[in-house]
Amino acid sequence: MNVSELTLLVLRIGFLLLLWMFIFGIVYALRSDLFGQRVRKMKADAAPVPPAAFPASAVPVAVPVAAAVAEAFTAPVARASPGTQDVPGAQAGLATSQNTTRLVITSGPKAGTEFPLSSDTITIGRSSDSSLVIRDDYTSTHHARLMLWHDEWMLQDLDSTNGTFLAGSRVTVPTKIPLNATVKIGATSFELRR
Amino acid sequence: MSKASALTARPATEPVHRLHLPQKLRNLELFLLLIACFINASAVVLVQLGALGELDPTLVLLGAGLSALVISLHIVLRFVARDADPFILPIATLLNGIGIAMIYRIDIADKESGWESAAVRQTVWSALAIFCAILVLLVIRNHRVLFRYTYIAGLVGVLLLFLPLVPGLGQEISGARVWIRVGSFGTFQPGEIAKIALAVFFAGYLVRNRDSLSMVGKKILGARFPRFRDLGPILVVWALSMSVIIFQRDLGTALLYFGLFLVMLYLATGRLSWVILGMGLFLGGALIASQTLNYVNGRFTNWLDALNPAVYDAKGGSFQLVQGLFGLAKGGLLGTGWGQGRPEITPVPQSDYIIASLGEELGLAGIFAILALYLLFVARGFRIGFAGQDDFGKLLAVGLAFVVALQCFIVIGGVTRVIPLTGLTTPFLAAGGSSLVANWIIAALLLRLSDTVRNQPRLVV
Repeated sequence: MNVSELTLLVLRIGFLLLLWMFIFGIVYALRSDLFGQRVRKMKADAAPVPPAAFPASAVPVAVPVAAAVAEAFTAPVARASPGTQDVPGAQAGLATSQNTTRLVITSGPKAGTEFPLSSDTITIGRSSDSSLVIRDDYTSTHHARLMLWHDEWMLQDLDSTNGTFLAGSRVTVPTKIPLNATVKIGATSFELRR
Repeated sequence: MSKASALTARPATEPVHRLHLPQKLRNLELFLLLIACFINASAVVLVQLGALGELDPTLVLLGAGLSALVISLHIVLRFVARDADPFILPIATLLNGIGIAMIYRIDIADKESGWESAAVRQTVWSALAIFCAILVLLVIRNHRVLFRYTYIAGLVGVLLLFLPLVPGLGQEISGARVWIRVGSFGTFQPGEIAKIALAVFFAGYLVRNRDSLSMVGKKILGARFPRFRDLGPILVVWALSMSVIIFQRDLGTALLYFGLFLVMLYLATGRLSWVILGMGLFLGGALIASQTLNYVNGRFTNWLDALNPAVYDAKGGSFQLVQGLFGLAKGGLLGTGWGQGRPEITPVPQSDYIIASLGEELGLAGIFAILALYLLFVARGFRIGFAGQDDFGKLLAVGLAFVVALQCFIVIGGVTRVIPLTGLTTPFLAAGGSSLVANWIIAALLLRLSDTVRNQPRLVV
């Protein structure tokens, strides 16, 4: 069997094309890593998020006080949950691994959902490997994370575009989270509860 | 543990959606794996058509056996690491297969067959390496157990590194003393396995001690430099790599270990001063070595003055390097085609110079494809580290991925005359059993780490 020059040329170029198709196949499968997760269009009937209930300019330093004020305004619906001991503002205790067991979504498309907390770090973002995936226009691929630091829950913003808000003030450095304070990311708010 | 509590404490209101079903990842992996096996088979067929002009079924059968082993690794993953990264296995398979095809091509040129043939030995080593990878996946069910064996790993790493210096056991090949003789089967390079043990050790050690290495020190020119007494670890690793240069006469291995430690130190502490300090130390050491040690000096001359006829013709001169460059130049953009170049003119075209051989036959387009495969492999490793939940896993994933990247840079940079040439194997590609075993174990550890990373409670809003 003798192979002609032309066949070899065609096979040679075909092999290189195959190799590159394999690579672009992988890159295509990885596109969410490169360009971020696809944004889901927010439904018009999704739980309304009143931007007015969000006193971004009010007292950025006094976190516990602002927490109480903010949550009184932002989450009246979620407050209807059976928890009776957590009266807003009555206690400004910090969320620790002992007194905190769950994360409750208080506003946004999935308001009312709970999420059990263990000692693991909780990553929040649009990427699919986050623990809490929030897929809206305002969330960055890797937006923020919650982690235990000396037994206290800390909130760290991962250089997100639109910011992470703890009780209405933007989080710039890792911050301790008061129990029942509202954390707002994009159109979703949540609280840490006992 | 956290998974179980997530399942029991699930709210009644909304079911938790899973973004990626585990089987979906594995199916994607299987699809890519089949393509990779097809590319490997077509490479061998093209070698036969190009170099022999006919088809010879023996090596194709061996390749089919290899494909079967890779697919069995995939099936193991379906059971023990369902959420593992789907890209690592196909990329490693493809690189391994391209390497075997090129080694086979050089065997044809050297008219070697049977057990004399490097391609057959490489295939058997690949099978052994994939078997080791399966064992690692089956034995290590959670990477955190490695954290317990930090110091044992360090001891094993150092012992393996210096095993070739034991008289009667070590063997010297072309100047470097990095091999040991294993019966009549051949030689083994324990340093390749040592790099995994050292990565585990560095990760565990730095997680335990990073506070003292990162917090304190004087600020000079905007960077916080460590205290003098905290310099201990870096000096020890520096001394270790310098002794590799002096006693084992192997520049590449020394650079590999020191670079690995430096990057992991930087990751753990976030202090640029460590990198500046470490690079200064290594460059200083290498400069002194190039003045005092003959073989290092020769490497530098070959690198800087490669095309000088006197250097080219000298014993141990730049003949090999320049032949490799000629081969790459002959390849051009699209290469001469599998089996149609003459890569066998360069000394050791199937191990250190496999990149030059591939560049000749596949051209720039092929070399870039291979580099892109390495890039994707390393990027997956960094990505696993980035998404990791515990610091030990993060450091280990990035360390393992970086060691592959650095090894590629050292050997491909040496062949293409970017840095002085030092003998290291190209990961997955080059002929060499120990390197294959080590790199497949790295792939298995990355798969294990990526499975743990994705294995967590998840809520999609």
